[in-house]
Amino acid sequence: MSSFEDADTEETVTSLRVTIYHPGQMQGGIFQSIRFSNPEKLPSSEVVKFGRNSTVCHYTFQDKQVSRVQFSLQLFKKFDSSVLSLEIKNMSRRTGLLVGGMELGYLNKVELPSRCVVRFGEYQLLVEKQDGESLEFFETLFTMSPRPLLQEQGWPAGKPTPELCWSAQSTCLSACPTEMDENEY
Amino acid sequence: MERPLTVLRMSLYHPTQGSAVFATVPQRLQHDTSPLLVGRGLGSHLQLHLPGLSRQHLSLEPYREQGGALLAFSLKALSRRGCVWVNGLALRFLEQVPLGTVNRVIFAGIQMVVHVEGGTSLEAFVCCFHVSPSPLICRPQAEETDEWEDIPEEPPAPGSEQPVPGHVGFPHGPSQAVDSSPEPRPGGGTEIQLQREAADSGGGAPCSPHGHREHSMAETGLELS
Repeated sequence: MSSFEDADTEETVTSLRVTIYHPGQMQGGIFQSIRFSNPEKLPSSEVVKFGRNSTVCHYTFQDKQVSRVQFSLQLFKKFDSSVLSLEIKNMSRRTGLLVGGMELGYLNKVELPSRCVVRFGEYQLLVEKQDGESLEFFETLFTMSPRPLLQEQGWPAGKPTPELCWSAQSTCLSACPTEMDENEY
Repeated sequence: MERPLTVLRMSLYHPTQGSAVFATVPQRLQHDTSPLLVGRGLGSHLQLHLPGLSRQHLSLEPYREQGGALLAFSLKALSRRGCVWVNGLALRFLEQVPLGTVNRVIFAGIQMVVHVEGGTSLEAFVCCFHVSPSPLICRPQAEETDEWEDIPEEPPAPGSEQPVPGHVGFPHGPSQAVDSSPEPRPGGGTEIQLQREAADSGGGAPCSPHGHREHSMAETGLELS
């Protein structure tokens, strides 16, 4: 028999596509450590850290304004679900993490929807999850966006963001102020 | 001013008397806010020496609830084989559950009771370990007494609903109900049914608190000893 016929059945893997943007991305080399357009396969039990410290973080930002460990992503499985879910945790004592319309404080965590924009400081990350069959591995793929992922209108720093029973897909990536829940208030 | 650390008081028990399972368990372990790994592997923060244990079997992850001031903990199963039972709920690979104040955890034949004493520090937490010479989790004595009174001298007829004392697999003994509120797994059963130990094929094999194959586990029948 050929190796093709004997090989284990391939499973699709959960894919995390992360599109990132920072207004100074072309000058400071803040993303120089990230290998764009290069899929990376990781064990599903891995806690993926993002931050400035290359010793502990999988993905680092060359920016002193970034915390040593800014946030982490990890996969988990819900009961009676066959696919993996994703949660994000703020690991920064100094900076809040905006997830859709919700701000996470230090060590707060929340499940991410399939598509969501995460923000901290001037960083914007669009995290998109495509489900796969495999529980063993997942894949990451980074892309740099040449333009902001979110329009900044009506989103000043420090303005309280109402807590929402939110569907992040409706609050993310909107270029029309009327679609932002904050404008309704 | 230093803030008091959250303390996890962890009592451990394994039926093998005088074993080296807990040989490298310290009395006290201070850990940062990364997940605490429990397993057989050298990379585990709490290393337990048991062949049936996975290299990384489970993790205790500190986090903070929205609006909460104290550390909370989530237990996640990292073993691809078998289950981790937490307060009567079976966790399979990558499933997780938040911990309460008192938690009964069973995995690979090990019984572990975790008491969470909240502290206001968000920098680290402390684990205080105690190895128990006697089981930590067993069925209430009252139920077992009733079973003895009703058991006829002859073995129960096939199809009889009378359970055999001791068939449960947990030792008899005094027990104190501390946290007996059941947390049934969705669709889970209510009776303990043990089968003979079989090779654990991993993946979809049903699992038992002792690593045996079994159909389901009686959450309401488990209490702290």
